[in-house]
Amino acid sequence: MRLIFAVPNTALKSLALFTALICALLLSGCNAKQEHKVMKIGYMICNSEQETMDRFAPLTRYLSDKTGIEFEPVPVDTQDFEPRFKKGEFALTHGNSLLYVILRERYTLTLLAAEKRGRFGSRTGGAIIARKDSGITKLADIKGKRMVFGPMLAPTGYLAEYDLMLRSGIDPEKDLAYYAIPPGSFKHEKLIYAVLYGQFDVAAAPLLDLELMVKEGKISAEDFVILAQTPIIPYCTFGAAKDTDPKIVAKVRQALLELTPETTVEVGGERVKVLKTAWIDGFEELKDSDYNPIREMAKRVNMPPYATY
Amino acid sequence: MDLRDREFWMVILSGLALGTLGVLLAVWGNPANSGICVSCFIENSAGALGLHNNPRMQYLRPELIGFLLGSVASAVIGREFKSRGGSAPLLRLISGIFLIIGCAVFIGCPIKLLLRLTAGDLTAVAGVAGLVSGVWIGLKMAVNGVELGPQQSERSGGGLLMPLLFLLLLAFFITRPDFINFSTKGSGAEAAPWLLALGAGLLLGALAQRSQFCITGSIRDLFLVGLRSYLPWGLGIFMVSALIAGAVSGRLNLGLYGQPGAHLDHLWSFLGMMLVGWVSILIGGCPFRQLVKAGEGNTDAGLVVVGMFIGGAVSQSWGIAATAAGVSLYGKAAVLIGLAFMLAISLLLRRREG
Amino acid sequence: MKIDAFDKLLWILLSVVLIALALLLWQGSHRSGASGKSVSDRAMERELTYQARVALVQKLYGPVEELRSKGELQSALLKLDELARLYPGEAHGYILQAEILQQLGLIETALTNYVAGIRLDGDYIDKKSPLSRREEISRFVAEAERSIGSRAAANPSNRTLAVARKDLNYLKSRLAGGCE
Repeated sequence: MRLIFAVPNTALKSLALFTALICALLLSGCNAKQEHKVMKIGYMICNSEQETMDRFAPLTRYLSDKTGIEFEPVPVDTQDFEPRFKKGEFALTHGNSLLYVILRERYTLTLLAAEKRGRFGSRTGGAIIARKDSGITKLADIKGKRMVFGPMLAPTGYLAEYDLMLRSGIDPEKDLAYYAIPPGSFKHEKLIYAVLYGQFDVAAAPLLDLELMVKEGKISAEDFVILAQTPIIPYCTFGAAKDTDPKIVAKVRQALLELTPETTVEVGGERVKVLKTAWIDGFEELKDSDYNPIREMAKRVNMPPYATY
Repeated sequence: MDLRDREFWMVILSGLALGTLGVLLAVWGNPANSGICVSCFIENSAGALGLHNNPRMQYLRPELIGFLLGSVASAVIGREFKSRGGSAPLLRLISGIFLIIGCAVFIGCPIKLLLRLTAGDLTAVAGVAGLVSGVWIGLKMAVNGVELGPQQSERSGGGLLMPLLFLLLLAFFITRPDFINFSTKGSGAEAAPWLLALGAGLLLGALAQRSQFCITGSIRDLFLVGLRSYLPWGLGIFMVSALIAGAVSGRLNLGLYGQPGAHLDHLWSFLGMMLVGWVSILIGGCPFRQLVKAGEGNTDAGLVVVGMFIGGAVSQSWGIAATAAGVSLYGKAAVLIGLAFMLAISLLLRRREG
Repeated sequence: MKIDAFDKLLWILLSVVLIALALLLWQGSHRSGASGKSVSDRAMERELTYQARVALVQKLYGPVEELRSKGELQSALLKLDELARLYPGEAHGYILQAEILQQLGLIETALTNYVAGIRLDGDYIDKKSPLSRREEISRFVAEAERSIGSRAAANPSNRTLAVARKDLNYLKSRLAGGCE
């Protein structure tokens, strides 16, 4: 006992201070853990789940590193996107602009940033194409012909072209021999090849896919004639559920806009370029009103979120 | 300031001529805001001699030839031509390279720096700050014992070599042998009529030899003795006359953006010009002054001029020279290497007490 | 200074060499005229090479111009994509793409392409070059200034507009001239 009481006061005070510091550090760590939660980002599947994960896992990791929030990528089939979003399976969304409009109108989705890809940046358009030697030289010639569209929820593979045809006095339901939508994945490429190899006479081809396929040497610009082109509209878009913390929304938006082609992130022990892996050129800020042309198209074509029958 | 002193009026006349002709040469055909730019002229001349292959920057500038030959003529007439040298010649050659590198990163020599400023180009402000800082650093180094050592008189007549070389360049300009390149496009194709350019160069070379006018020397004197030196007055007159000439000729355009031959990398404008200022103090003059001194028979200055030509060549060949898009990675690295060089030689050259 | 015999010898030798040089240069300039053979003219060769390049570029991109003139702008853009595969980094492709995007009203992407083209080859901004597009680019800059300037001022935190602003300033600087 005498030994204990023999310890000088200053040493005791130092020990007490040291202990308090350690506790504070430990407690602050606990607080961080309590705030730590996983937020999910729903990525619309373009072609396959694997491709989607390969493309967007680095971007998701980047967002986690930049914002300090742990994000988890969730690949979502286009048809399931709205129901799964409604169920709250993911708070952030990455999908096409028609999906954005649907979620905005029905669930007040917040616009974060628009993805830039291809020569038109964050926008793109659609075209109605035929093979050069098909004898089809103008839009009116497609009456009575076989046409292939992209998936119905594709803004520049279905919606924009359908709308263009209606505005040009051509009713796809009545004036074509028939139309179809390719099954499976890589639908956009399939419809372009379908025209090239004569399975269909006419296709609703997204300009972005035409551009990429020409650049990759898969097709030649000389093979096709563009009968008509739709207006240029926004395309892939990042959004956030309306009840997402505004601070998180701001952080994610900033992180996306700050991305440059040189930004890298470590994934699976490998350092990769975020944008290159995602097949993206960057992100830019758009306003919700920039999506009004899509809204107008959807109304005219009787597509969601304005479908009345 | 003694208004009866002929030297004072010679300095004033030099400043007046430099400022006025600096604007007029651009009016007569030189690139915008580059009526006089020793570094640009050296890059162009290096291209003309085949030292780099930028087809837009190849022209044997008669002004450059005039500066040196005008100085020769004035020195000979005034019996001031004297071969001298031998003060750290190799260091001076390398310094000449970095002098032009610093100018190329800013896009202009100290004369063009002030011509740009007086034309309203606010991007030059960073360059001015850099030049002044560089001069100050050079002076601090000098005070702390950094110097290249004294020159000696040379009996070999080595001082004649640069004048002879520039006479040869003049002969090349006039006879145009096919190994001398002349740009047909770009800034190398923009030039004042050669007789006017040569005449202006001769006049300015002669005046500068008589007055010992020097941009960095003026700033140096301002630090050391203030307005008791004549050179700062010459600098002031240069700027005022350039401003007036620019305003009268409609070339005054105040702003930060859209200026000819200017970029917005202000930090590197500052550092590039800082390097120029510092080197100039160490070697005894800005690029223009080096040409004038070479014309007086100063072989050390002659080596600086050779170094400047090498610097002009590598600035273009190695992508060091900045453009309106900004400063390249190589340009930034070159400036930092230049600053490292200056620090290293300061450590090596410094004469320490005790 | 006393000149001795050795000095005289050196002066004589120097004079001989200088006379030989003068004779050589004189003979060289006369020989070309007398024999009818022209001394290789590098300046002329360079000019011819340049003109040949200009002609080749115009021929290669001729189909694009043809599609443009017919109003088939998308097809013209696809043709440019094809040419870009064969001739990556060719400035002419960027310039044409910029012009077409401008026609489509896509000012910012047109701006990016103009900047890319001019950075590769400043001939498009030169007054005298056969490839010069100086007038068109000046008009475009004025149009872009109106479109981007006000939006950039209203949205100072918008990075896309900030980049567009920077590109616009670059074009303005190149149009103003300078040593480049």
